[in-house]
Amino acid sequence: MKNKKVCRFTEAKIKYIDYKDVKLLQKYITDQGKIIPKRITGTCAKYHRELTTAIKRARHMGLIPYVSDTVR
Amino acid sequence: MRKNMYESAVIINAALDDAQIEAIITKIQDTIQLNGGTISVLDKWGRKRLAYMINKSKIGFYVIFRFEAPSEAISKLERVYRLEESIIRFLTIKLDKFAVEYFNDQEIAATTKVEEVVETPAVAVVETKSTES
Repeated sequence: MKNKKVCRFTEAKIKYIDYKDVKLLQKYITDQGKIIPKRITGTCAKYHRELTTAIKRARHMGLIPYVSDTVR
Repeated sequence: MRKNMYESAVIINAALDDAQIEAIITKIQDTIQLNGGTISVLDKWGRKRLAYMINKSKIGFYVIFRFEAPSEAISKLERVYRLEESIIRFLTIKLDKFAVEYFNDQEIAATTKVEEVVETPAVAVVETKSTES
Protein backbone atom coordinates (compact mmCIF):
# COMPACT_ATOMS: atom_id res chain seq x y z
CA MET A 1 0.00 0.00 0.00
CA LYS A 2 1.19 3.47 -0.85
CA ASN A 3 0.51 6.26 1.59
CA LYS A 4 -0.03 9.70 0.18
CA LYS A 5 2.73 11.89 1.53
CA VAL A 6 1.82 15.36 2.68
CA CYS A 7 4.10 18.33 2.84
CA ARG A 8 4.74 19.09 6.49
CA PHE A 9 5.20 22.78 5.85
CA THR A 10 2.00 23.32 3.89
CA GLU A 11 0.03 21.41 6.49
CA ALA A 12 1.45 23.25 9.49
CA LYS A 13 1.29 26.57 7.57
CA ILE A 14 4.98 27.19 8.18
CA LYS A 15 5.99 30.05 5.92
CA TYR A 16 9.61 30.49 6.88
CA ILE A 17 12.26 27.85 7.52
CA ASP A 18 14.92 29.07 9.92
CA TYR A 19 18.43 27.79 9.33
CA LYS A 20 19.12 27.96 13.08
CA ASP A 21 16.40 25.36 13.77
CA VAL A 22 18.81 22.41 13.68
CA LYS A 23 16.29 19.93 15.10
CA LEU A 24 13.94 20.51 12.17
CA LEU A 25 16.66 20.42 9.52
CA GLN A 26 18.07 17.16 10.88
CA LYS A 27 14.86 15.41 9.80
CA TYR A 28 15.65 16.28 6.20
CA ILE A 29 19.26 15.15 6.03
CA THR A 30 20.66 11.61 6.05
CA ASP A 31 23.19 10.25 8.57
CA GLN A 32 25.87 11.17 6.09
CA GLY A 33 24.64 14.75 6.00
CA LYS A 34 23.06 14.66 2.56
CA ILE A 35 19.77 16.42 1.82
CA ILE A 36 16.95 13.87 1.43
CA PRO A 37 15.20 14.24 -1.95
CA LYS A 38 11.68 15.59 -1.90
CA ARG A 39 10.29 12.50 -3.59
CA ILE A 40 11.07 10.65 -0.37
CA THR A 41 10.12 13.26 2.21
CA GLY A 42 7.03 14.43 0.33
CA THR A 43 7.84 18.10 0.80
CA CYS A 44 6.35 20.24 -1.94
CA ALA A 45 8.66 22.02 -4.38
CA LYS A 46 8.25 25.48 -2.88
CA TYR A 47 9.24 24.45 0.62
CA HIS A 48 11.90 22.01 -0.50
CA ARG A 49 13.63 24.95 -2.15
CA GLU A 50 13.44 26.92 1.10
CA LEU A 51 14.66 23.89 2.98
CA THR A 52 17.75 23.40 0.84
CA THR A 53 18.84 27.01 1.28
CA ALA A 54 18.26 26.70 5.03
CA ILE A 55 20.36 23.52 5.17
CA LYS A 56 23.14 25.11 3.13
CA ARG A 57 23.15 28.16 5.40
CA ALA A 58 23.29 25.95 8.48
CA ARG A 59 26.24 24.05 6.99
CA HIS A 60 28.09 27.29 6.31
CA MET A 61 27.63 28.39 9.91
CA GLY A 62 28.90 25.11 11.31
CA LEU A 63 25.54 24.03 12.72
CA ILE A 64 25.25 20.83 10.68
CA PRO A 65 28.12 18.99 8.96
CA TYR A 66 28.88 18.99 5.24
CA VAL A 67 30.09 15.42 5.65
CA SER A 68 29.31 13.48 8.79
CA ASP A 69 32.15 12.22 11.00
CA THR A 70 31.05 8.61 10.54
CA VAL A 71 31.74 8.77 6.81
CA ARG A 72 35.10 10.51 7.15
CA MET B 1 15.91 55.89 2.61
CA ARG B 2 14.43 52.42 2.32
CA LYS B 3 15.19 50.15 5.22
CA ASN B 4 15.10 46.38 5.45
CA MET B 5 15.18 43.83 8.22
CA TYR B 6 18.37 41.81 8.36
CA GLU B 7 19.70 38.97 10.43
CA SER B 8 23.39 38.65 10.94
CA ALA B 9 25.04 35.66 12.60
CA VAL B 10 28.70 35.76 13.57
CA ILE B 11 31.04 33.09 14.91
CA ILE B 12 33.84 34.55 17.02
CA ASN B 13 37.02 32.68 17.96
CA ALA B 14 36.15 31.00 21.27
CA ALA B 15 39.78 30.98 22.44
CA LEU B 16 39.48 34.70 23.27
CA ASP B 17 38.60 36.06 26.72
CA ASP B 18 35.02 37.07 27.47
CA ALA B 19 36.12 40.72 27.62
CA GLN B 20 37.64 40.55 24.13
CA ILE B 21 34.52 38.88 22.73
CA GLU B 22 32.38 41.55 24.41
CA ALA B 23 34.54 44.24 22.78
CA ILE B 24 33.95 42.74 19.33
CA ILE B 25 30.20 42.55 19.93
CA THR B 26 30.03 46.22 20.95
CA LYS B 27 32.14 47.11 17.92
CA ILE B 28 29.62 45.37 15.63
CA GLN B 29 26.74 47.09 17.46
CA ASP B 30 28.39 50.47 16.96
CA THR B 31 28.94 49.90 13.23
CA ILE B 32 25.30 48.94 12.77
CA GLN B 33 24.08 52.00 14.66
CA LEU B 34 26.54 54.39 13.01
CA ASN B 35 25.28 53.34 9.58
CA GLY B 36 21.68 54.17 10.43
CA GLY B 37 20.57 50.79 11.73
CA THR B 38 18.53 49.92 14.80
CA ILE B 39 19.13 46.60 16.57
CA SER B 40 15.97 44.84 17.71
CA VAL B 41 17.38 41.54 18.99
CA LEU B 42 20.87 40.62 20.19
CA ASP B 43 21.11 36.92 20.92
CA LYS B 44 24.29 35.51 22.44
CA TRP B 45 24.33 31.74 22.11
CA GLY B 46 27.73 31.53 23.74
CA ARG B 47 30.33 28.86 23.10
CA LYS B 48 29.03 26.05 20.95
CA ARG B 49 30.60 23.00 19.35
CA LEU B 50 30.99 23.39 15.61
CA ALA B 51 29.87 20.58 13.33
CA TYR B 52 33.30 20.56 11.70
CA MET B 53 36.69 22.22 12.12
CA ILE B 54 36.81 25.89 11.12
CA ASN B 55 40.25 27.53 11.27
CA LYS B 56 41.56 24.58 13.31
CA SER B 57 39.08 25.13 16.14
CA LYS B 58 36.21 22.90 17.21
CA ILE B 59 34.25 25.50 19.19
CA GLY B 60 32.98 28.96 18.38
CA PHE B 61 31.17 31.81 20.10
CA TYR B 62 27.86 32.44 18.32
CA VAL B 63 26.18 35.85 18.26
CA ILE B 64 23.00 36.70 16.37
CA PHE B 65 21.84 40.22 15.52
CA ARG B 66 18.47 41.13 14.14
CA PHE B 67 18.25 44.72 12.96
CA GLU B 68 16.65 47.20 10.61
CA ALA B 69 19.08 49.07 8.37
CA PRO B 70 19.47 50.68 4.95
CA SER B 71 21.05 48.36 2.37
CA GLU B 72 24.27 50.41 2.18
CA ALA B 73 25.01 49.54 5.80
CA ILE B 74 25.42 45.85 4.99
CA SER B 75 28.49 46.20 2.79
CA LYS B 76 30.11 48.37 5.45
CA LEU B 77 29.23 45.87 8.15
CA GLU B 78 30.62 42.93 6.18
CA ARG B 79 33.82 44.87 5.56
CA VAL B 80 34.23 45.16 9.34
CA TYR B 81 33.64 41.40 9.63
CA ARG B 82 36.32 40.63 7.08
CA LEU B 83 38.88 42.91 8.70
CA GLU B 84 38.28 41.47 12.16
CA GLU B 85 40.54 38.42 12.34
CA SER B 86 38.85 36.82 15.33
CA ILE B 87 35.56 36.52 13.42
CA ILE B 88 35.82 33.09 11.82
CA ARG B 89 32.45 32.95 10.04
CA PHE B 90 29.56 35.30 9.35
CA LEU B 91 26.27 35.22 7.52
CA THR B 92 23.94 38.13 6.88
CA ILE B 93 20.53 37.46 5.40
CA LYS B 94 17.66 39.74 4.46
CA LEU B 95 14.41 38.82 6.18
CA ASP B 96 11.27 38.77 4.04
CA LYS B 97 7.83 39.44 5.50
CA PHE B 98 7.28 35.76 6.36
CA ALA B 99 10.56 35.62 8.24
CA VAL B 100 9.70 38.77 10.19
CA GLU B 101 6.31 37.22 11.04
CA TYR B 102 8.03 34.00 12.15
CA PHE B 103 10.35 35.81 14.55
CA ASN B 104 7.53 37.97 15.91
CA ASP B 105 5.51 34.83 16.65
CA GLN B 106 8.54 33.28 18.30
CA GLU B 107 8.94 36.27 20.59
CA ILE B 108 5.25 36.23 21.51
CA ALA B 109 5.47 32.50 22.29
CA ALA B 110 8.52 33.10 24.47
CA THR B 111 6.81 35.85 26.48
CA THR B 112 3.60 33.82 27.02
CA LYS B 113 5.67 30.86 28.24
CA VAL B 114 7.22 33.04 30.92
CA GLU B 115 3.78 34.21 32.03
CA GLU B 116 2.52 30.61 32.31
CA VAL B 117 5.38 29.71 34.62
CA VAL B 118 4.49 32.66 36.83
CA GLU B 119 0.82 31.67 36.90
CA THR B 120 1.25 28.02 37.93
CA PRO B 121 2.42 28.61 41.53
CA ALA B 122 -0.47 31.03 42.01
CA VAL B 123 -2.94 28.25 41.06
CA ALA B 124 -1.21 25.84 43.43
CA VAL B 125 -1.68 28.27 46.30
CA VAL B 126 -5.42 28.53 45.60
CA GLU B 127 -5.74 24.73 45.59
CA THR B 128 -4.01 24.27 48.94
CA LYS B 129 -6.28 26.88 50.47
CA SER B 130 -9.41 25.05 49.31
CA THR B 131 -8.21 21.73 50.80
CA GLU B 132 -7.52 23.40 54.14
CA SER B 133 -11.00 24.83 54.43
